[in-house]
Amino acid sequence: MSALISLFLKLSAFSALAFGGINALLPALYELSVNQEHWLNTQTFADFFAIAQAAPGPNLMTVTLIGWHVSGVIGAIVASIAICWPSSIMIYFLQGYINNLRNPITKKTVQFAASALAVGLVLGSAWDISQRINHSAAAFALTAASIAVVVFTRWHPLYLIAIGGALGVLGFI
Amino acid sequence: MKTLTPKQLFIGFSKIGISGFGGVLPWARRTIVEQEKWLSAEEFNAMLGVSQIVPGPNIVNLAVCVGSRFAGVAGAFSSVLGLMLCPSAIVILLGMLYEHYSYLPAVQGMLRGISAVGVGLIAGTGLKMMRNEFSFPPMLLVVAITVVAAGYFQLNLGWVVLIASPLAIFLAWKKASQA
Repeated sequence: MSALISLFLKLSAFSALAFGGINALLPALYELSVNQEHWLNTQTFADFFAIAQAAPGPNLMTVTLIGWHVSGVIGAIVASIAICWPSSIMIYFLQGYINNLRNPITKKTVQFAASALAVGLVLGSAWDISQRINHSAAAFALTAASIAVVVFTRWHPLYLIAIGGALGVLGFI
Repeated sequence: MKTLTPKQLFIGFSKIGISGFGGVLPWARRTIVEQEKWLSAEEFNAMLGVSQIVPGPNIVNLAVCVGSRFAGVAGAFSSVLGLMLCPSAIVILLGMLYEHYSYLPAVQGMLRGISAVGVGLIAGTGLKMMRNEFSFPPMLLVVAITVVAAGYFQLNLGWVVLIASPLAIFLAWKKASQA
């Protein structure tokens, strides 16, 4: 029971800070679930991240899986609700406010500031997480190659995931 | 104005949830704008913009915006529920398989490969988002500070936002006034 309450409260606190969405939140999620609460080890965290990436659905499924690991289906539900409710309530009330901002400069200021923060947090998160889950030069090379493909081509991410999985099965990573 | 029942929203967002391999947002656009024609491209972009400004999972924010636009609080609930239900069931099933088969070297290798790609997808998306910041280069300072605070010093998310916000708001105001 106390694990469920802790799960709920701590994930709720993240929700309202996650500029850039779940991708920006991964290091905080790692810190909480691996280092502070010891719900899972680094390997399981990395594996859950991989499963959520490969499965259909929002990338917040990493959070759902961590909740499931902590406390079964109830844990999955609690974790999913926790990560969504504060930001959902915020946007429910803020959407009208943002849309009705009369002054175009104010509106653009909010937009530009939020997008710069999001970019920084997403990149910082990728940096942090890559160091935690990549354990070989080959893994870093695969990450670098994926970055290049995303930036310079219009390939569907699923191809990359399939290639990464195949290279892993063959023992290269 | 077009109205939709919570049930229609639930079904629509369920489709978006389960088709969203490798990111749900492109599927949200395809379903909402092109297939169901619930919103025009302009309306959708405006809602997506707001969803990305406000913290939290972007796609959930979008579901709240779209759902509440057509059916108030009930619409928001049913959209989010539709979005999450099937994917949650799928990952829990995969989690169960993982518990049984994670000892296999092939499974371990596959997941290592996928997670290495997954980080690359996130970083690549971040770099694509950064392209917009080059139109006002001083803003790159905010990006740099945030990246170093979060990535190198591994500061707590709350601190990073607190440290970077004043400069972000100041420069955003400069950028907005300049145009």
